[in-house]
Amino acid sequence: MTRPDLSKATAPVPADGRPVLEVDDLHVEFRTRSGVVHAVNGVSYSLTQGETLAILGESGSGKSVSAQAIMGILDSPPAVITGGGIWFEGTDLLTQPEEEQRKVRGPGISMIFQDALSSLNPVYSVGFQIGEMFRAHRGMSKKDARKRAIELMDRVRIPAAARRVDDFPHQFSGGMRQRVMIAMAIALDPRILIADEPTTALDVTVQAQVMDLLKDLQAETGMGLILITHDLGVVNEVADNVAVMYAGEIVERGTVDDVFTRPAHPYTDGLMSSVPQVEAKGGRLQPIVGQPPNLARIPSGCPFHPRCSRRRLGAEAAPGRECSTDVPPLRLVVPGREAACHYSEEVLGVRAQ
Amino acid sequence: MSEPSEHGATAASSLPAAVPGDHVHSSLTKLTSGGAATGSRGEMGEALLEVRGLQKHFPLTQGIVFKRTVGHVRAVDGVDLTLRRGETVGLVGESGCGKSTVSKLIVALERPTAGSIFFKGKDVARMGGRALKEYRREVQIIFQDPYASLNPRMTVGDIVAEGWSVHSDVAPKKGRLKRTQELLDRVGLNPDYVNRYPHQFSGGQRQRIGIARALALQPEVIVCDEPVSALDVSVQAQVVNLLEDLQDELGLSYLFIAHDLSVVRHISDRVAVMYLGSIVEEGTAEEVYSAPSHPYTQALLSSVPLHEPHLRGQKDRILLQGDVPSPADPPSGCRFRTRCWKAQDVCATDPPALVDRGQGHPSACHFAEARTVVPVDAE
Repeated sequence: MTRPDLSKATAPVPADGRPVLEVDDLHVEFRTRSGVVHAVNGVSYSLTQGETLAILGESGSGKSVSAQAIMGILDSPPAVITGGGIWFEGTDLLTQPEEEQRKVRGPGISMIFQDALSSLNPVYSVGFQIGEMFRAHRGMSKKDARKRAIELMDRVRIPAAARRVDDFPHQFSGGMRQRVMIAMAIALDPRILIADEPTTALDVTVQAQVMDLLKDLQAETGMGLILITHDLGVVNEVADNVAVMYAGEIVERGTVDDVFTRPAHPYTDGLMSSVPQVEAKGGRLQPIVGQPPNLARIPSGCPFHPRCSRRRLGAEAAPGRECSTDVPPLRLVVPGREAACHYSEEVLGVRAQ
Repeated sequence: MSEPSEHGATAASSLPAAVPGDHVHSSLTKLTSGGAATGSRGEMGEALLEVRGLQKHFPLTQGIVFKRTVGHVRAVDGVDLTLRRGETVGLVGESGCGKSTVSKLIVALERPTAGSIFFKGKDVARMGGRALKEYRREVQIIFQDPYASLNPRMTVGDIVAEGWSVHSDVAPKKGRLKRTQELLDRVGLNPDYVNRYPHQFSGGQRQRIGIARALALQPEVIVCDEPVSALDVSVQAQVVNLLEDLQDELGLSYLFIAHDLSVVRHISDRVAVMYLGSIVEEGTAEEVYSAPSHPYTQALLSSVPLHEPHLRGQKDRILLQGDVPSPADPPSGCRFRTRCWKAQDVCATDPPALVDRGQGHPSACHFAEARTVVPVDAE
């Protein structure tokens, strides 16, 4: 697998600093008895303070696996990180011993998950679980940790926090549980919060509350937010930049405004026109044909070519740009925008540079 | 609920236009309408299914040996709905509002506590034996979870054909395999897959099997209970389009139950919004989405994230406080008053009726007032 050097991210980096997190050409595979599943194939992205990066993709696109690799919570075996680096504040986490990684990640990077009920321990009170952060990483006493837990529950807007701190997870509603998880995640003032489908299991009105809370917390603390989701609407409303993933690769990257207004990759384009919008009834939906690929048998060339309406095969294709044989690199198409398609200029409707 | 059946008529007029795959179509029309032409099944726009004052209360019990009833969960508490021939009625609401219980009541999987369901003018509760069997053939259901709703030990062919062992008059024994294959072909599956098992299919394909199973009995009404929420976005659109095509071809009526407001707007002719067991607003999709008049509908619609960057920030965000009250102990008067910013004393005493108060379509709010919360996409 030869990949161009993608470590120099082109996502707009504020002048004030280097990225907090850089994922560089990450490869993850799952070695199962029935074969090797290539879940992440050379993914690179970076995140600066205060930035919100959305990773958009369907199930099986590798978006969660790449985040789990950052957090070091991949089950291995079967998962193996076969290449690349994860740079957090200048150190490559993957070269560090596990104990060191834990010390860095604990206060530095935290994560919230889709299913709050199964992520919380049902036999401990929520206050105890939030306080565990302080006891484990700061060596606080039980009493102080409980006090801090109440403060945090207040901060994530759980009503009557002092009274509910000793309640158990099952006594909370879905939205409140998600707030408890957020409280645990922000307990140690992380530089980065990874939110893996944080609102997928929630109703829209609760989803709006939780997304508002995340945005407010981010404005307060200046943490970077990686938002993993398949919901185009959430990406549009919350994120600054977006990376679209397909078959374990980033196929398009840019600011949300650019990507959503004029997609440069046929997959992004197809995704946009296959989803109905609440703001318009719209005509007939234009679905992407076929199924997302099996990651154990990723198609040759461009992984999207079997489903692509713009593919060029055989003699139609320009030399070196045959969709079923030549792998399209993630390249700069127009300033600030990268796409992994041989014919992105056509998709965008601009002349090739 | 005195809307002229404008949307039923538009569905009828678009009927001959969109018929992809003609050869399949002709055989399938025959297949699904029992030899008779679709037209003779009744006029488009005629009320097929009428639900009046439907209630379902589940008892809450205590004790292991001697069960005492200590209360009731009022899952469905007074729902009125009308489904006309050839139209799609969307039923939206958040989890726990009772929309799935409504679907179970309609397909007669549960018995209502009170209220009635009329199918072509006949009360389903009074049906027995043969009439009920016929009703169950006419009203089919598609479930949300394509993984749990197909028997893993049966082949696809057996799953699709299973209904014919009860309703043997629908398909003569001889041609069943051929008909199964036609059905699979129609829903976009390879007809050669009849001997495969559900686990060999992806989520979207399994949902197609569920649709083929529902079509096998030539129903007039299909209740779709969250049919696309378990599917990936790129596959969702395929299933939505399939449902639309089948409706155009076969004159089906859908009760489309979902929590995804965008999908409901796309597919529905009329929309009913549910909150805590009752319907708070009802109207054409256009009316409900462009001019919602119940505060709950307004809050719901304003929470849906928009897809267009240029519309971002243009809507008034109405953030609701608190959680949905327990259906075991709903608030007096208006169900929504505990979270409503318009609530006054009258709301605690008088339950508002679902009527038009001058805003153009029925809304169950004493202070109903149309308001635009979803910006209109000019493009």
